[in-house]
Amino acid sequence: MRRRSTLVLTAASAVLGFLLVTAVSSVGHARRADAPRRAELIALIDERRDLVAEQDGAVSALRDEVDAARRDASARNQRDRAEGERMADLALQAGTVALRGRGLEVELSDSPRSSSADPDAGAFRIHDTDLQLVVNALFAAGAEAVAVNGSRLVATTPIRNAGDTIVVNFRPLSPPYRVSAIGADRRAFEQSEIARRFRRWTGLFGLGFKLSQREVEVPAYSGRVAIVSARPR
Amino acid sequence: MLPLIGLVVGAVLAVLLQPTVPQDLSRYVALAVVAALDATLGGVRSALEHTFNDRIFVISFVSNAALAIGLVWLGDRLAADLSTAVVVVLGIRIFQNAAAIRRRLVGG
Repeated sequence: MRRRSTLVLTAASAVLGFLLVTAVSSVGHARRADAPRRAELIALIDERRDLVAEQDGAVSALRDEVDAARRDASARNQRDRAEGERMADLALQAGTVALRGRGLEVELSDSPRSSSADPDAGAFRIHDTDLQLVVNALFAAGAEAVAVNGSRLVATTPIRNAGDTIVVNFRPLSPPYRVSAIGADRRAFEQSEIARRFRRWTGLFGLGFKLSQREVEVPAYSGRVAIVSARPR
Repeated sequence: MLPLIGLVVGAVLAVLLQPTVPQDLSRYVALAVVAALDATLGGVRSALEHTFNDRIFVISFVSNAALAIGLVWLGDRLAADLSTAVVVVLGIRIFQNAAAIRRRLVGG
């Protein structure tokens, strides 16, 4: 009887050992299988991001070249000069030239208090809609040119969420979000609904909301101005 | 002593055979390990207490593992995390069995 019990226990231990090693090695296997793929993805993202930055730079440089060439050409005669002035005016309105002027800078940041376990964790973060409302209020307060974290807003600019990140002009932003607006009036902006709400949220949730009036620089739009379907009528 | 040798033999066998578990099933294998660990410790305990019954042991060994896997499978269907319940209950039993074995071997 005692012999048999040891035998049964031995067999059970063998099964246990077999299962144990199998489980441990399969977990390790799965982890090892994931690691190179993750590194590959990160490398790919970095590479593409560099490519985008490089091409953005090229667009700006080429645009400057075109402007300079146009200025040269327009200096030649009266008609070309008028044309050149019109072009410069249009570029100003399209947002393809860097501008500076007196204006407002609004800085929004996530709350340091946020915890992801909280059911309303969303209340502690800045969302695309917050940014949209702030930008709208700035335009309503007289802003003539606006950029978010150095990304110029033009007629075709979307501001939206992609997962947990805010994307402007299809470029992901990282907090804090700095909205620079040339020509915005401080008093008018502070009277807006969203500014008053943010003042309240700063106390309630600890969201960052800083406002400063000063000389603001807004860079040129570096993306592609793709107006394909729309035609003047 | 012999059960320990069995453990090593099983481990060596697994290393030699290199069985691969599909990723979807690896959670079930992990739980089967916990259930088997519980049953084995229970067996060792009852052997030390001279109440060991091989039929009861084999049945509990197989049925515990099956029940654990079945519960987790059901939990997956229901989107309720029953694996936590299984791990907690079996974990408590493992500690109790280990404590009983320790008392038996060293006293106190």
